[in-house]
This record gives sequence, structure tokens and C-alpha cells, in this order.
Amino acid sequence: MAVALIEKVHVFAHQSLKTELLSSLQEAGVVHLEEVRLEGFELRSFAADLSDADRTLSRLEHALGVFAAWDETGGLKRLLRPKPALSMKSKKSVLSFDHGRILDELERIESAKNERQTEARILDKEAEFLGPLRALRFPLEILRGTPTTEFRLAILPSSEVEKLSALVQERPFWFETVARDKNFVYVLLAFPRDLGNEIELVLKELKAAPVSLDVQLGKACSGDRVGDILERNEVERARLSADMAALEDKMKALAVHKTALMSVHDILLNEREKALAAGLLGETEKVICLEGWVRAADKERLASRVASVAEAAQVYFRKPLPEEEPPVILENAGIAKPFEIITGLYGLPQRGHLDPTVPLAPFFFLFVGLCVSEGGYGFLVTVLSLLYLKFGRPSKGARLFAKLALYLGLSNIVLGTLFGGWFGFPIRSLLLIDPLKDPISFLGLSLLLGFIQVWFGTLLSMVNAIRNKAFAESIVKGGWLLLLPALVLFFVVRSPLAGILAIAGASAVVLFANPSRNPLARFFGGLYSLYGISGYLSDTLSYSRILALGLATGVIGMVVNNLAQTAFKIPVAGFVLAPIIFVGGHLFNLGIGFLGGFVHSMRLQFVEFFTKFYKGGGKPFKAFRIENKYMEFVE
Amino acid sequence: MTLGLLLAILGAALAVILAGIGSAIGVGLAGQAASGVMSEDPGKFGGVLLLVALPGTQGIYGFLSGFLVILKLGLISGNVIQPTVNQGWAILFACMPVAWAGFISAIHQGKVCTSGVYMVAKQPKESVKPLVMGALVETYAVLGLLATVLLLNGVKFQ
Repeated sequence: MAVALIEKVHVFAHQSLKTELLSSLQEAGVVHLEEVRLEGFELRSFAADLSDADRTLSRLEHALGVFAAWDETGGLKRLLRPKPALSMKSKKSVLSFDHGRILDELERIESAKNERQTEARILDKEAEFLGPLRALRFPLEILRGTPTTEFRLAILPSSEVEKLSALVQERPFWFETVARDKNFVYVLLAFPRDLGNEIELVLKELKAAPVSLDVQLGKACSGDRVGDILERNEVERARLSADMAALEDKMKALAVHKTALMSVHDILLNEREKALAAGLLGETEKVICLEGWVRAADKERLASRVASVAEAAQVYFRKPLPEEEPPVILENAGIAKPFEIITGLYGLPQRGHLDPTVPLAPFFFLFVGLCVSEGGYGFLVTVLSLLYLKFGRPSKGARLFAKLALYLGLSNIVLGTLFGGWFGFPIRSLLLIDPLKDPISFLGLSLLLGFIQVWFGTLLSMVNAIRNKAFAESIVKGGWLLLLPALVLFFVVRSPLAGILAIAGASAVVLFANPSRNPLARFFGGLYSLYGISGYLSDTLSYSRILALGLATGVIGMVVNNLAQTAFKIPVAGFVLAPIIFVGGHLFNLGIGFLGGFVHSMRLQFVEFFTKFYKGGGKPFKAFRIENKYMEFVE
Repeated sequence: MTLGLLLAILGAALAVILAGIGSAIGVGLAGQAASGVMSEDPGKFGGVLLLVALPGTQGIYGFLSGFLVILKLGLISGNVIQPTVNQGWAILFACMPVAWAGFISAIHQGKVCTSGVYMVAKQPKESVKPLVMGALVETYAVLGLLATVLLLNGVKFQ
């Protein structure tokens, strides 16, 4: 239960050793680098230009994304597949691989393919547009008209065709239906050129829109019909498809370089990190200076690392100054370690505050178990997280999360058996409280746990106050610690002793809560702070959610079983339906139950527990180290 | 069928309907925002999914309360209990906390989660903090459910 001791480190070395020193420190992965701020030395910093590195990295990522799209392995298998190993020593040989050529080639093929794709899309659009006009029985040239007659294609709503037929009787023009679909009709109109304006108006009245084939007319040979154009289109389209397939094959052929590109990516990623780190150094003509933080436990390792690269280099350690905010690493023993996730989500402790991970762990464990209270779901989660831990080769963060899931699964197996059931079926002989039949007892249990956590939080705040030598505050907290349980005891058993203890606690609060020297102000100010009891009350009542959430999972599990039983009675289909309802329903309930249980248990830690004694806002310790995305680095 | 039974059924129906409407609105709001975010980056699906699902719990609480009433009335087993008119009213009122607290809180939770979705769009690593914000709103739906369960538990048929 602790925040690791962190010390400041300064390293001075000869300029010529810069790259080697940084590589060595990166491999060690123990320093959190900061910008050098030494006054009085004329140190310069050179912020690195990372734009080239960033561009290459994003090109590599894009190429690998293209290759990944053809990956045949399924999602789960891909998740469980280990990353290929890469030796740190092979850096030179990896970088000698001409990745630029592969990337250029791939990008060239890709852009050629994209061009074809655009062309194909245009052809498809044209085919769609011309499709209905295939029935036009004249060659396209007819649309150019004759010196006296104009021809025009138009599309109008089916309902207007009759009106058009009627108009033919009155006016000197001719029309023919070319094609029709559900709502619209394509017509070909012919009329004397001098009637153009009048026909324009008629068409407008009939809500007709002109159909222009000018583009096609421009490309058409004499005697071409719409069908001929469409046929030529199809030939062209087939050629494009074949082209695209050939290009794709070429791209697929490049996928043999996938592993090489992955190696280059990860090596360059680390070179980029190194360049970034070099920008933080302070330099003179001959000397470089490096500033950072290191765990006190890693001091020896750091010093020997530096000495192995540069014998003459000087390493200085010192304790953090009062005004400095060292970065934070949490150090918890194995079993509490996964709960650091919860602390990290709220924010790491500020300097001088204790690590809340161990205090919160047992409560979080219990609360999730009670909120979900399902032995069966706990069993599933336990098995899945065990399998993932064994076969999934998770990264460090994922491993921690899987361990947390494992604990929460175990918590559910135990508490689900005692207070809930297995897949909606309670095991009556093992039940301590049946929350459906006796919700009041379960509510009592929830509030009792809440009271314990609130009281414990107050105790920790007293410890904090004593550590910070704020004695008046610690007496007030002590007063609350006495007052709260005594008050509860007094209302439950009405013992006069409890009453006396309550008054003693209350008087500690009244006398010490207000620092004023004026006795009246001090007394009334203290009296007012007794009002804080409403806060303790509402905090404790907030834990009633444990009952509600626990009930919710149990009842929905029952509903699922009920539905499955009902479905089972349907002849024949029941044999298929019932298992689907059972499995699907319980999986849904598992998801919703754990989401609610996790989020609400977390809220109880953050809002009800942490507010008593904890301040977040510490910055995390980010070691300068080897990063990897696609490969696993080995010695 | 007695008036008492009708009132009790009305209570169950209202619990499911109102909380369900609230959740539908809430999930709808967050879902629209999530789809918008995913149109830029489909990879954020995992990060925003829980935020979209969170306002859906009120509907489940309403359904659950409705189901408790159905169980209590024996509508599934076939042994239908005929409550008196007063008992019917009691069940109807007992359903109100989850119905209304669920209805309103789901809508507001939907709004909080919508903002959360935008936050995840900009800060992909912070997908849990907006969940906690959503849970702060949900408290009142949980309390509504709790009150309804306790009240239903208190209505006894002879």
C-alpha cells in the first residue's frame, strides 16, 4: 500500500555518447524524463523535428492496415495470436530493409486501383441512368434534330401522361413512350423548332424534367443506339474489374513483406521516442545533461547502466524538493495490484496523500459481488479471464484488467451463491438472505457495509490529519468516529452508555471544528458543523443501490428462465427457441449486470469513499522505455 | 376481473411504459452521437458502446418492477389473485417511483452520456470517466427502483 519513493536524477555525459546513452536508458526503462531546467549553465535544447518520422510511421501503419484487411484468421484467434518476436540487436539489419521502396510500390498500386475504382463508379452511374432508355428505338443522333424539327427526351410522372396525350390533339407535336417504371414515364417528343418556348411551358406544367444525353451524344458514333453504348460500357467495366483484381493481386504479393514492415515500424517508433527524449536534454558544445525522475529502488540499476556506456559520466540523485511534484507510481503487492486500475481511473494520489488502492480493494470486491450476485455469471467470467490469462498473452495493462475480472468473477461465485443464484436459480440451502423474499435484511446488510466504508474513510482522514500534524482536525474526525457508531447503537439498543459516548463525540466536534478564538463564535461555529451529519447519512443511504442492483440481476435472470420455460412448451420449435432464449437472455443480463455492478461500485468508491480522505491529480510516472505495437522485443 | 386487478395491471404497465420511453429517448440521444463519432473513426465502437447502453438500464428497472407485479398477481402461474380496489391502488402507486424517476432520469442520463460520447471522441483513453458521470444520474432511477420494490414488498394480500 504505497506510493513508490521517487528521486530526482541528473546525468552529465560527453556529447559524443548522447545516442548510446539514450538507447541504453530506453532499454532500461526506468527514468521518467523531463526538460532540463538548470539555471546558471548555458544549456541549449534542440527540439527534434519529428514530422518525417511521423509521416513514415503513418505510411507504415496504413500499409499494415491494408494487409490486415486480408488477414484470414478470425477476430478471436487474432486476439490470441502472439506478436512475432524481434531481437533488439537486429535493429541494423531491420533498418537496412528498403521499406521505402515497398511503401512507394504499394501506394502506387493503391492509387492506380483507386483511379480504376472511380472510373468504374462513373460507368456504373451511367449504366443506371441509361438503363431505362435502352428501349429507345432510334439512333442517338436523332436528338440533334433536323433544321425544322426538334427532338427531346423527358421524364414525367405517370399520372401526367394522359394530359400529354390530350394535348397532342390540340398542338402540332408528337410523342412516344420510351419506357416506364412504377412512378415515372420516359417520353420522346418531336416538335417544330419555332414552337420550342410553348412546349417548354407545357412540359413545366406537366412537372416533366428534360433528360439530357449530350455527354453520350458527344461520344457516340453514327448509328449508335443506347444499347450499343451500354454494351461498350460493359466491356470497359469488365476490363476495369480485371485490372482492379490484378492490382489487388499485386498488393497481396507485397504482403510477404508484412513482418519486415512491422519490425521497421516498431524500430522507428522507438527511434522517434528517442528523438523526442533527445529534445528534452540540455546541451553545451561538449556536454549533455539529462534530468528526470527515478524510483529509489531503481537507482542502482540506472547508475550501472550509465556507467556501462560512459565511465566518465556523472550521475546525481536527490530527494524531491518541497515545491516539486514528482510523478507517481503505485506499488501494491500481488493481490491488490489489479485494483490500481480503479485508483488510476479516478486519478493518482497527489504528493503526500496515501494510495487508496488497498483500502478500496475489499469493498470493491464485495460490492461488485453483491450488485451482480450471480454465481453462474461469476463462474463464466472467472473461466473466461483464466483462459485469457493462460492463452491470450495479454499485454501488461490487459493482464491487470483480466486479473481484476477474475477477482470479480470469484466474488460473484461466492456472494452469488449466498445472496443470489446460479443462472437465475437460487440454491435455497446455501442462501443466507433471499433478497426477493426478505429485501429488508439485504438492505440492512448494504447499509451496514456502507456505514463501515464511510466510517473507515473518516478514520483514514484522521490518519491523514495526524500525519500532516493538523491535530484539531484529527480530534474532530475522532469525534465523528465516536459519534456515528454510538448514535446508531443508541437508536438500536437505547443503551445510555451509547448515548454518553455519542455526546462525547459530538462535543469533540463542537469544540474543535471551528478554529476561532472567540468562545461564542467557536461554540456556534462548531454546533453548525454538526450539521455535517446529514452528509454522513446521505452517503450511507447511497449504498442502498447495492440491494436494487442485486435484485435487478436476480429478477431478470428469473424472467429469462420463465420465458425459456414458456417457450419450451411450444411443440417442436420450443426445442430450438428455449435454448436460444436461455443463452441469449443470460448473456444480455451478464453484460448489463456487470456494467451496472462495476460502474456503481466504482461510484461508491469515488463519491462516497474517496471524498473523505483522498485527493487525486498526481501525474503518472511515464518511463522512457521500449514501446511496441506489432512486435514483441526480446533480448 | 375486478377493478383492483385492473389498477394493479395499470401500475405494472406504467412502470414498463414510462421507464421504457425514457430509456428509448436516452439511448436514442447517445446512439445518434455515437454513430456520428464512429462515422469518423469506426474503431471507437468499444469505447462508446457502454455509454450508449447505460441509459438503457431504466427501461430494465421498469420492466423488472412490472414483472414483480405480474408475479405478485399470479398472472403467469395462472392462479390470478383478485386484489381489493384499495390494494389495486396501492400497487399502482407503488409502481410510480420507478416509472417517473426512470422516465426523467433516463432522458437526462442520455444527455450526459451524449456529452460523454463526445469526450471519448476527443480523449479515447478516458472512456470510463463519463460512465461514472452517467452513473451519478442513474442513482435516482436506482432509488426509484428500490422504493418500488420495497413498497411492492409491503403490499400484502390476505
